[in-house]
Amino acid sequence: MFHRRLKEKGIEISLFLAAATTVVVLLFICIFLFRDGYLLFETSSFTGFITGSSWYTASTPPRFGILPLLFGSFLVTAGAIAIAVPLGVAAAIYISELASPKIADLLKPFIEILAGIPSVVYGFFGLVVLVPLVKDIFNIPTGQTALTGSIMLAMMALPTIISISEDSINAVPQALKEGSLALGSTQWQTIYKVTLPAALSGISAAVILGVGRAIGETMTVLMVTGNMAIIPGFPEGFLDPVRTMTATIALEMGEVPKGSPHFHALFAVGSVLFITTFIINMVADKIKRKYKLKEGL
Amino acid sequence: MSGINDFADIKVEDLNLRYGSNQALQDINIKIPSKSVTALIGPSGCGKSTFLRCINRMNDLIKVCHIEGRVKIDNKNIYDEDVDVVELRKKVGMVFQKPNPFPMSVFDNIAYGPKIHKVPKKDIKGIVDKTLQDSALYGEVSDRLDSSALDLSGGQQQRLCIARTMAVEPEIILFDEPCSALDPISTNKIEDLILELKKDYTIVIVTHNMQQAARISDYTAFSLWENNRVWRNKPDLRKS
Repeated sequence: MFHRRLKEKGIEISLFLAAATTVVVLLFICIFLFRDGYLLFETSSFTGFITGSSWYTASTPPRFGILPLLFGSFLVTAGAIAIAVPLGVAAAIYISELASPKIADLLKPFIEILAGIPSVVYGFFGLVVLVPLVKDIFNIPTGQTALTGSIMLAMMALPTIISISEDSINAVPQALKEGSLALGSTQWQTIYKVTLPAALSGISAAVILGVGRAIGETMTVLMVTGNMAIIPGFPEGFLDPVRTMTATIALEMGEVPKGSPHFHALFAVGSVLFITTFIINMVADKIKRKYKLKEGL
Repeated sequence: MSGINDFADIKVEDLNLRYGSNQALQDINIKIPSKSVTALIGPSGCGKSTFLRCINRMNDLIKVCHIEGRVKIDNKNIYDEDVDVVELRKKVGMVFQKPNPFPMSVFDNIAYGPKIHKVPKKDIKGIVDKTLQDSALYGEVSDRLDSSALDLSGGQQQRLCIARTMAVEPEIILFDEPCSALDPISTNKIEDLILELKKDYTIVIVTHNMQQAARISDYTAFSLWENNRVWRNKPDLRKS
């Protein structure tokens, strides 16, 4: 009797520990990231970091202005979203509303495979195929541009956007679509005026998660965007090399002395990145929850 | 036009319907007179709703559904090659079992049909007002035209769906158990509305409720279980 209770309790505790590990890991990541990032501000000013327009790590004194990296990340991400959202939503509409079940079953595994390709392979493909292509099409000195990064990131964000949009389109009650068709609207009018608006919150969540995926992506952008830390113009900056926050950390972390201001600056960049993606995930979650509530009606 | 006796009547000839290999309707012949209420009653699962959905070709949406025979409206077989389904559904409106207002404002719900049928913008307000009055909903929602249709009660939502159907000016309105999700008072209101509507529309209503059929219908078609779940209607309609 006593032994059995002890055993039950033991199992419960070990399962709890397994679950708690994730929380603890997250907590430690936060602590170390923010602590090491914060130490930067012992040697340089916070406003200089947030509003500084140059990232010169080798100058004396070094300048750690995050703006070039921040704008680099935003530009590449914005481009990726501009490409991936129309494409992804269109694909989702096709798969869930128009394609026959046979074709939908054929397409879906391909989309899943797209999600499973390692980012370095995307980067390799981008470097070998897309970079020369962009260079030739726009007749510019280098094909390693923000646009190249955007196209690659769009390809990587597509599976997320397609599958979540498709789920939310499928979740629109058949009764609504029938109600629209019964009034004599065409299938396209029904999709455009009833189904899509009803699925809009789910689609927005998909888009935001796609943004999250794109902004945190490192390897691919590092390989195809040229990594020049200058504040890009808009929109002509798409055809210039840019450097993102993620690429900066990946490139420079290996060569900085531990504990130096440069080291802490990279952690500060990491903190900004962490906070950005955290906010993005929270917004996506909020929208998704709101959408679930609505569906309960 | 309304003087012509055959206006918007429905003739169903040798209608057969299969879902895959499962025969749902067999050899149905029925004539539904215009400007009257015809009720279809029978046990659940016998194919009443399936039959109803043949009249506005809603079954087209189901890919495994196979239909033979003719459904003639104004002596034109609606399953002919040259029939435009969109035009047909404009002419043959449908109200569903569960209220299915669009997640938009009351006004936009009613304006939806006229808008997709390219009614000039300046006329839409008038159509919405008139339909709301005709569907006896105006007094209840006139101050809430801009609020969401989902905030209305179930009965109001169903009447809104009827109003929405009326706004595209159909000749026939199909009702698929329109009161099954509603309370008695809302049911009453909808029955009154249907009685009012038969002056202008041909109405076909599927109902579980014998009393309801008796209260509102001019004609009743009985459906029976025969031949392994196949519906055969009596060849002649009974006067209720």
